Amino acid sequence: MTDNAFLEARGIGKQFGGVTALADVDMDIRRGEVLALLGDNGAGKSTFVKVLAGAHRPSAGTIAIEGRPVSLASPQDAAAAGIATIYQELALSENLSVAENVYLGREDVRRILGIPFLKRAEMRRRVGVLLDELDAHIPNPDMPVGGLSGGQRQAVAICRALNLDARLVIMDEPTAALAVAETRKVLALVRRLAERGCAVVLISHNIADVFEVADRMVVFRRGRKIAERRRADTDPEEIVSFITGAHPSLRSLEHLG
Amino acid sequence: MPRSTTSTALKLVILLVLFAAIVAAFGLYQPRFLQTSLVSTVLQFASMLALVALGQALIVLAGGAGIDLSVGGIVSLSAILSMMALQAGAPPVTLPVLAVAIGALLGAVNGILVTRIRILPLIATLGTLFVYGGLAMALTAGGSLSGVPQWLVPFGRGLVGGVPYHFLALVLPAYLAAAVILTFTAWGRWLYAMGYNERSAHLVGIRVDRIRFFAYCLSGALSGLAALVSLAWFGSGRPNIGLNLELESLAAALLGGIAITGGSGGVIGVLIAVLMIVTLKTGLQFVNVSTVWQVGIVGALLLLVLLLDFLIPRRRA
Repeated sequence: MTDNAFLEARGIGKQFGGVTALADVDMDIRRGEVLALLGDNGAGKSTFVKVLAGAHRPSAGTIAIEGRPVSLASPQDAAAAGIATIYQELALSENLSVAENVYLGREDVRRILGIPFLKRAEMRRRVGVLLDELDAHIPNPDMPVGGLSGGQRQAVAICRALNLDARLVIMDEPTAALAVAETRKVLALVRRLAERGCAVVLISHNIADVFEVADRMVVFRRGRKIAERRRADTDPEEIVSFITGAHPSLRSLEHLG
Repeated sequence: MPRSTTSTALKLVILLVLFAAIVAAFGLYQPRFLQTSLVSTVLQFASMLALVALGQALIVLAGGAGIDLSVGGIVSLSAILSMMALQAGAPPVTLPVLAVAIGALLGAVNGILVTRIRILPLIATLGTLFVYGGLAMALTAGGSLSGVPQWLVPFGRGLVGGVPYHFLALVLPAYLAAAVILTFTAWGRWLYAMGYNERSAHLVGIRVDRIRFFAYCLSGALSGLAALVSLAWFGSGRPNIGLNLELESLAAALLGGIAITGGSGGVIGVLIAVLMIVTLKTGLQFVNVSTVWQVGIVGALLLLVLLLDFLIPRRRA
């Protein structure tokens, strides 16, 4: 079952003071698969993702990447382990070009007297190739990001993750602020990312989007993982009933909570 | 929408038109104004402002409400302290290094106040302006410190083909280096990125505070270099030599196309703006407008640029 797992999380818990934000979460994240995390606000999905991104240290549990235990104590650790997080705000600089944004902070340089001169042609070429591979509908890597649509910006952020050789890409509500046509394109990007062999974790509130793109779904409720379903084995109604707590299997839990 | 490039080019054109208008107006009013020595005069007076304005421009460019009001104080105090070091027995040959190092150190204090203690740059550098400027006055009781080595004086007054030595040896290389670094290196990209959107720059791993600290040190060092020019030029250390440089350097940086909000603009425009401001002041001098009015007019110019910056809409996420 875990033969294709990129990351295995076991017994992950997180306390903030006396508040339990996350309790005893087991999860496998597989290569080439889109995994959607669902749940109400405060259900724990964002906390879990922040643990993977190195932004929160778990209070309990272990994480293994490709079978080896790792400590994700900082965003740098996560990046070194091949985990890239695309935040909702995207972290793009609107005054710089697409190519400059893809490389920002990790530029390809030729050092002359210690001064990091940009290899601009090389960076443009590489970004052009990535944009083509993703079919990102951005005609020119020299375009300033300030002029791009929301979906195109997602594409730039995804390019950035790929360029960092990310093997797990975490996306937080990538379609939240997008129009319908743009949402289609971003979902296609997410699929292509998985087809390239990336593991993708997606946080979303939109059940329709999730059913279109995800291979597997995990529902969080009150800091616990309460359900895991393959898309083929479930339907939107069941997932919604898990999210809202209306599912029959949750009755006993609700009384305890 | 290539906002940054078009608006930068547009600002440069407006600047050049304004510059030409100023020269033409003085030329029409007083044809003698347009003599060949005008260029030498303007460049002679421009060097100090040009060096200080370059540092100012980089700090504003780096964003985070960056501003260095203390530049004038740094120029005065570096001039005074380096002369006092000479009087205390430091070898005269170390004067250039002393002036720059003291300037950088005073700039580093600003950098610590802003990036470590997190005081708003406007307030932090206003404070150090009074501390540095006041200290320069107090240490000298308002008088000048003589004893600048004779070998330095030709550097302050000499010309090569009508261009002052210090303009050729300091100002042009400094601006050229800054323009190349801003345009062609990763450092330049980081400065523009953090100047425009500090949070996203931080998220991609750019060490925003370190770069900003370095910008304040650099501004201090450039002010120290301006102090050196003043020593070579006047042959003595004057405790009020940096007076009004904060106003003029800010006016030059903003007139030159640096957005007050950071992340947009280039340094070539700043150099042109410096030459324009100095030409304007020279012209006013020429038609006998008092220095007091000159300061007022530069202030009005600064206000005008800020107004224009507000009127030209900016998109921001």
